Amino acid sequence: MTRNPVQRLFGWKIRSVRWIEVIGLVCVGAMVFSVYVAKAAAARESVAIGQLEREIAENRQRVRLLRAEAARLEQPGRLEGLSRAAGLGPVGMNRQADESALAGLKPVSVPVKPPAAPAAPVGDAVPPLVPAVAASAEVPR
Amino acid sequence: MSVEDHRVWRPSAPPVRSGGRPLTSTVSPWLRWATEAVWFVEHAFERARADARPEEDTRVRIFLIQIVFAGVFVFLAIGAAHAALLTARGSAGAAAVSGALQRADLTDRNGQLLATNITHYGLYVDPAEVWDREAALTQIRRALPDVPESRLRRILNGDRRLIVAPGLTPSERQAVHALALGGVSFEPEDRRVYPLNRSGAHVIGTADTGGQGVSGAALAFNDEIRTAGAQARDFALSIDLRVQGVLENELAATATEAGAKGAVGVVADARTGEILGMASWPAYDANRRGSASDDASLNRVTSAHYEMGSVFKTFTVAAALETGLADLDTMIDASEAYMIGNRRISDFHATNKILSLEDVYLHSSNIGTSRLAVEMGADTMRRYFQSLGLLDAAPIELRESARPRRPRDWSDSTRASLSFGYGIMITPLQMTAATVALVNGGLYRPLSLRRGGTGDQGRRVVSTGTSAAMRQLMRANVLRGSGGQADAAGLRVGGKTGSANKLVDGRYDPSRGVGSFAAVFPTDGPETTRRYVVFVLIDEPSQGSRLGGAIAAPVVGRVADRIAGFLGVTRRADPPILAGVAR
Repeated sequence: MTRNPVQRLFGWKIRSVRWIEVIGLVCVGAMVFSVYVAKAAAARESVAIGQLEREIAENRQRVRLLRAEAARLEQPGRLEGLSRAAGLGPVGMNRQADESALAGLKPVSVPVKPPAAPAAPVGDAVPPLVPAVAASAEVPR
Repeated sequence: MSVEDHRVWRPSAPPVRSGGRPLTSTVSPWLRWATEAVWFVEHAFERARADARPEEDTRVRIFLIQIVFAGVFVFLAIGAAHAALLTARGSAGAAAVSGALQRADLTDRNGQLLATNITHYGLYVDPAEVWDREAALTQIRRALPDVPESRLRRILNGDRRLIVAPGLTPSERQAVHALALGGVSFEPEDRRVYPLNRSGAHVIGTADTGGQGVSGAALAFNDEIRTAGAQARDFALSIDLRVQGVLENELAATATEAGAKGAVGVVADARTGEILGMASWPAYDANRRGSASDDASLNRVTSAHYEMGSVFKTFTVAAALETGLADLDTMIDASEAYMIGNRRISDFHATNKILSLEDVYLHSSNIGTSRLAVEMGADTMRRYFQSLGLLDAAPIELRESARPRRPRDWSDSTRASLSFGYGIMITPLQMTAATVALVNGGLYRPLSLRRGGTGDQGRRVVSTGTSAAMRQLMRANVLRGSGGQADAAGLRVGGKTGSANKLVDGRYDPSRGVGSFAAVFPTDGPETTRRYVVFVLIDEPSQGSRLGGAIAAPVVGRVADRIAGFLGVTRRADPPILAGVAR
């Protein structure tokens, strides 16, 4: 009787055990083991992720708390009270200048060449100190 | 009798629709097909025996079962692989956004925190686990002095676990935790916290423990704040905390010094209608709203009504200019008191001469504006007051925005009173909105606490020419009129003072007054220039002058001086065009 390939495959035996069953068992074993390894790794990662998420949540709470505390400490009313207690106040308009006005506030000092002939005493070589801000900037309001 | 041959499975013919057909064919031909297929498998043993091949029966059954199982497993494997590898990240089982909150953090326009949710803790005590109840009571009271002793004692002597105190801050929780008492436990609870305490309390508003807004922006934007919270986003208001701080500090300093009953300040962007600062004095601690007095919790900007006095002359003059009733050079007789029936209208700063319209404004002549109002007619005046929003609640998101107390009639006498700010009580927010419309080129837009404004194009109430003329008049009033103390150096501030007595027991009491100043800066430049409207009102100052030019204008000047840098307003000398206006 002629047997088809499937029948031949099922008829292939060793010690009255079909090879197809042996191969199937080995495959199933390999699959079970790989699933176990994958699940174990996933469980480990899940625990790590859970831990990280808890830490993130805790840190987020701390950030919120610190942000609220910073907002409380930096509120304008409190800062102004502290500044006034320290003798500070808003800067007057005539004491304010932008970058473009800086050159006008302080004259550009031209470097003076040292004389070739006998050097003058060191004290005379020091240029006079000019106030950084012109007198006009000190006009009281 | 007939014998069915089960060796051959023949799919049945399509069901014939007749009265006696079986249930399967009635329900579905496929169900009938499946039934017959199962029946075919069940009879496999009989067929094999009939064919003298009994061993094949078992094989066929096993093979079929294997096929079914293999199919199911393949299906499951494909499904699992698809779920594991191809599902978009975050879509499966991630309904809640990471960091989602019941209510979003409220910030100012620059991201500075105004309100947030902080986890607090409820303190619970289970008396069955407390070793020494007296010691526990003493120690808990020492750590939390606010906890009532009677309540704590009742719980400690009770027989079940009860809450002792809700809303412990993390530091309070730590203090109790450090006592290492048995039977003490904590349960987290989300609480709304206002880190600025009093600053911006009225405009920020509060939310209840259920996470619903009950006042201010918290109520006005309740749904949007909750939606933003669910998406872990912040919700930004139009408020600039720096401007708000300056406004509150200057207002509180002046109100305290003057012994005032209350004070109001608003700063608005005239181009977009955004509110940059809104202060009502006295204020309350938003974290203790329950203990705030009615006087402190009242947002005077939105809910208090005032007869504001001469600041209304701006509207009267604008209406006269817009209707063509007068121009800046029109001469108006203010040489003697103006009589309407038996009523005599005179000037506070009497000049006793014929004045131009500009001088009427600069000298704040009641006679002059009364003559304009009477000539204007009731319909015209009502139309302009209506279009400037003086007869309706100010359009803004805040629910507290109150309706004005409108005049009962529009007779000559009433119109004369209205022309200099009597006979009508409006809210400071209405005054701000109307001033914004007059100085921004003539467009009335809703004010907004939303960053970026409402985007509303607004409606035109006066022409750009009238708007420019009003800005020039307001600037001239600061340079040469009653608003001199508002002149912040280089900021081209313009404005109009207002001083009014309050109606007490049917009579205007000169000892109870309201001083106000409505200002804009800068007044020069094209229509598209960014301008800012500042309105300040001091309610019943008890010391010093009660005039708006003496008490409110200096506040505006200092506020403008300090916030100009934040708002990017460049300081420069007045443009020469104003010399022309001065004639």
